[in-house]
Amino acid sequence: MRIVLSVNGKAHELDTHPGQSLLHGLRGEGYFSVKHGCETGECGACAVLVDGQLTNSCVHSSAQAEGTEITTVETLGERPGQGWKLTEGLHPLQRAFVESGAIQCGFCTPAMLLAAKQLIDANANPTEAEVREVLSGVLCRCTGYVKPVQAVMHAAAVMRGDAQPGDWFTPTELDKFFIPSPPDAGSGSSAPAGSSDTLVNVLPRVLIAPQTETWKRVGRPEVKVDALKLVQGKPAFTADVEPRGLLHAKVLHSLVAHARIKKIDTSKARELPGVVAVLTHEDVPRVVYSTAGQSDPIPGPLDTFSLDRKVRFVGDRVALVAAESADVAERALKLIEVEYEELPPILDPREALKAGAEIIHDETEYVDFDESDAARNLAAHIHIDIGDVEAGFAEADQIVEFDYVVPKVQQVSIEPHVAVTHWDEDDRLVIRTSTQVPFHVRRQLAPVLNLPIRRIRVIKPRIGGGFGGKQEVLMEDVPAHLTIATGRPVIYEYTREEEFIAARSRHPMRVRMKTGVMKDGTITANEMYALSDTGAYGCHALTVAGNTGHKAMALYVGDGKYRQQPNIRFVADVVYTNTPPSGAYRGYGVPQGFWPVERHMERIARTLDIDPIEFRLKNALQIGELQPFSTAWSEGREPSPEIIETNGLEECVRQGRAAIGWDQKFGNSAWRELPGKPHLRKGIGVALVMQGTAIPYLDMGGASIKMNDDGSFNVLVGATDLGTGSDTVLGQMAAEVLGVGLDDLIVYSSDTDFTPFDKGAYASSTTYISGAAVVNAAQKVAERIAHRAVLILNEKGDGPDIDPGEIHLEDSRAIALDGRSVTFSEIGHHSLHHAKQEQIMAVGSYVSPVAPPPFAAQFAEVTVDTETGMVIVDKLVMAVDSGIIVNPITASGQVEGGMTQALGYAISEEMRYDGKGVARERDLRDYHIFAAHEMPELETIFVETFEPSHPFGVKAVAEIPMDGVAPAVGNAILDACGADLEEIPATPERVWRALNLNK
Amino acid sequence: MIVEYHRPEKMDEALSLLARKSPITRPLGGGTQLNAPSDEEVAVVDLQSLQLDFIKQKGKQLQLGASLTLQGLFDFKDIPAALADAIRHEATFTLRRVATVAGCLVSADGRSSFAATMLALDAELIFQPNNEDTSYGEFLPLRHDMLAGRLISQVNILTQINLAYEFVARTPADLPIVSVALARWPSGRTRLVVGGFGAAPHLALDGQDASGLVEATANALNEAGDQWASAEYRMAAGEKLVQRALERIEVEPGV
Repeated sequence: MRIVLSVNGKAHELDTHPGQSLLHGLRGEGYFSVKHGCETGECGACAVLVDGQLTNSCVHSSAQAEGTEITTVETLGERPGQGWKLTEGLHPLQRAFVESGAIQCGFCTPAMLLAAKQLIDANANPTEAEVREVLSGVLCRCTGYVKPVQAVMHAAAVMRGDAQPGDWFTPTELDKFFIPSPPDAGSGSSAPAGSSDTLVNVLPRVLIAPQTETWKRVGRPEVKVDALKLVQGKPAFTADVEPRGLLHAKVLHSLVAHARIKKIDTSKARELPGVVAVLTHEDVPRVVYSTAGQSDPIPGPLDTFSLDRKVRFVGDRVALVAAESADVAERALKLIEVEYEELPPILDPREALKAGAEIIHDETEYVDFDESDAARNLAAHIHIDIGDVEAGFAEADQIVEFDYVVPKVQQVSIEPHVAVTHWDEDDRLVIRTSTQVPFHVRRQLAPVLNLPIRRIRVIKPRIGGGFGGKQEVLMEDVPAHLTIATGRPVIYEYTREEEFIAARSRHPMRVRMKTGVMKDGTITANEMYALSDTGAYGCHALTVAGNTGHKAMALYVGDGKYRQQPNIRFVADVVYTNTPPSGAYRGYGVPQGFWPVERHMERIARTLDIDPIEFRLKNALQIGELQPFSTAWSEGREPSPEIIETNGLEECVRQGRAAIGWDQKFGNSAWRELPGKPHLRKGIGVALVMQGTAIPYLDMGGASIKMNDDGSFNVLVGATDLGTGSDTVLGQMAAEVLGVGLDDLIVYSSDTDFTPFDKGAYASSTTYISGAAVVNAAQKVAERIAHRAVLILNEKGDGPDIDPGEIHLEDSRAIALDGRSVTFSEIGHHSLHHAKQEQIMAVGSYVSPVAPPPFAAQFAEVTVDTETGMVIVDKLVMAVDSGIIVNPITASGQVEGGMTQALGYAISEEMRYDGKGVARERDLRDYHIFAAHEMPELETIFVETFEPSHPFGVKAVAEIPMDGVAPAVGNAILDACGADLEEIPATPERVWRALNLNK
Repeated sequence: MIVEYHRPEKMDEALSLLARKSPITRPLGGGTQLNAPSDEEVAVVDLQSLQLDFIKQKGKQLQLGASLTLQGLFDFKDIPAALADAIRHEATFTLRRVATVAGCLVSADGRSSFAATMLALDAELIFQPNNEDTSYGEFLPLRHDMLAGRLISQVNILTQINLAYEFVARTPADLPIVSVALARWPSGRTRLVVGGFGAAPHLALDGQDASGLVEATANALNEAGDQWASAEYRMAAGEKLVQRALERIEVEPGV
């Protein structure tokens, strides 16, 4: 059918079919700002204005839209000045989003902008609650909504004439937020339960280190280098291309949890018009590999095939289809006939290790790693003893033992997994993919595709969020196999349901804690046993569990003599079950560890009647002490002793307790009660946490910097910005070294053909590892610039000859001690065109010998309905020592978004399966993530320390926000009503049962 | 999957399309349900040109066109506050602007807050052809059969009914695990609906007064266990919610 509709004032005649969504209709016409995030209207990334009304285009058909006027972000505004063409510039909303840091991955940004436009067009002076309401239908997994809300408020003020555009970061404003002294005690406040009436500031409080004051670019709230393209809805993401002859891939997923495939008949599917290829295990090479995106050698078992004769979970692959359209491919899946020999499934990890249990991996090609044992369904085993644990228990006055349970949860990046493959003109396979690990994709897929590494090029465009879910070589092999089979470009894009049934998730664990403690609160020994469920495949099985112990069990070493000789034991069994595989998820095992550790510490403190903060600090790791696990375990390499050089934990506690009003609220029974609402009780809780920064001696970052004629620079980084702002902070570090503005840099990441190797975005390593590589390259370029400046200045002969050591770089000039200078533009032209020509360029790389931990104090304030068990989290505060904060806007965005994800881990998110292994959660209706209109107040405080192992003193910030929210909330629930939870999420029924147990 | 699309200008045309045996033909309101992926091949009849998006106050009756959006109803100043709460709980801002009153009532499962409140209000459905009327309570268990060849054109609710809506969920905007909608007429007639589970909200009580509410709640929830909550929990929480709803309905005017 042919229809006519108007998009941004331009008439379009669409050749469509009745089932085509408006989303696909618009994208087919090139409106790539309209994003696919789900198929049910829940995520809202596809929203456009239809006759001025915000409409989810994924659940609105093109046919329905006939005769309407559609508005997309493409028409909102554009970069001011496009060559000789003058434009009206950005819309005030776009400008506010850019300036405020409201854009992280940018995938939901176009929809947010349109929602805000609809609001402001109708209401010039919206309240914050009204802003949150219109944004409620656009889910964001990155920001915690803090900055988008502020951006809309600010834009409305600008449009009313109540504020000036661009006045966010005047020096006065900065002075207000960058505080060198602590806040007044007792300033803590909270919004009413469940509301968000309190305006928040986009800039966090930063207790700055002295070094930060000396820098011009590092430590400043620079606008993100990629914000302009994202706010205009430019085609920056993986799926925003449409090569000629593109085929669409679909995968037939298993409907049974455990079975051998006896027979597959694909003949009917192959005969369907429009189907170009159907592949089964009989068609592709049988190559065993791991999908975990990690450096070589993969620290885990090789147990996966692109297609196998056996299926191991509901959602496992059975067959691949490529067709002329997604609809045809979908129909073809239904025509594939599969005969299974069903096997008993193992759905409970406690059953996996029992004698006689069904063996999930009985394939002969299975390759063990370390202590994995497929014959026992054991993907990994860890046993670490530090000190003499039994002696420590014997010395204790009291032993405290409890069990804890943490759930399987999903990353829920709003951009689903997507990859596009094609053969290039040199017969090299190009894989354009939304990945955190482009170089690992290339290396790990090469044998699977029977191609040498050199014949594969991986391009990582803009990523719409990853959170660890894209630290996986998860699905790129599907379009790659189909391109090899057909010779044509192929796109494979996960549906939201596939994200739930066929992607990765956080490892669920059952944990037993046993702690010896003296009456004075000294911990004498601490033991954790973790039973981790890796699901059907062992991707990240060893390393995630390793981090559970390595970080969470390292924080409390004990006091007195135990500081020098802590007694710590960590044992983990990581077992296979017939559930979707677990994998990497922001925090990487550490959130699983801190729920038990911090709930356990709270219980011990209360048992001993010691103030819970005092008890924690008494036993916590301090500067100058050994990271206890550093001598016992490392990811993939021999362990090496690491001394803690920086630790701002005590200051974090001081700042956090003041911000939340701990001293006024904790133990205050009058505060706990709400007048007129006897069933409600308020509570307050704390958790102290630590993380790591990168993987020592293993993961490498690389960067190259090239000077151009005009004194600008190409900064090519192998690191992957998945929305975190890493391209920006890496640019800031380069700019600081080179003495230029961020606008003088063109930062590009990443392409395995053009950018240096980088391990990718994981392990909280980009700012630290890749940043050091960038600094390394920039220093080399700076040295060449100095030499060239000397050459030019000495050629001019208008002063005494100078030496390169007398040159410093500032404001895009090379300046001699006597004040003579030469501009970078002169240097660029001189070096490339005029004399003794050379390309000023350098490559830097970096591997760290240490993994300096960031530390944080996280606080939660809650209201518990003691009759129903429903918990409302009113406020979250995080005071964090992440070393130097390169960009307070992007860093606070990380913290706000991380706290929000962690909030879901605390009270609502979990993935569960029925008795046949069928997922309960298959969409964003059942798997609820927090929306803008139900958020608690969030507050971020940075306590800077200068980590000496990095040129700019940085440590990690990305993952640590995940660690302490759940235990802080759990401890606050205990404080409120006595419900002593062992399992998260803290659903109403779990809280209610804990309350009844208490009664 | 949608295989045919029709946008009739007249009701007769719509009804003749809906009367077809093949292909299976369904009315399309906002499309938030029908446009979602489905294995079923259906033809759709888009109602947008039939002028069914009205809202009228006729005496004590509020008449809602079948294609009125939830947002359109939400914005009407004279609806009970609890109905507005339920609409807000039903769908986000974006979905409310497209989802229609009739579409939500037809596709509702037990977790629909809007359906629960409309059932408590004893909403009346008007079908075409012939302006036949049926209560929403009678319609729900037989909805697919009752829609064969017919179209809901209008939904009526009475004003001057006090309404309360209470729920428990994992987060303020999450689907309810257990919910209650309590409506009381000036005559004392009281209807209690429980939800948060099952295929549809469940009418627990329709009585002359509020006596027996707690027992009715327990009866309605004693087999309400599923993957999301146990029956034991739902009974305990439901009892508290009913008490709160009753307190609220006694102190707050409905319309």
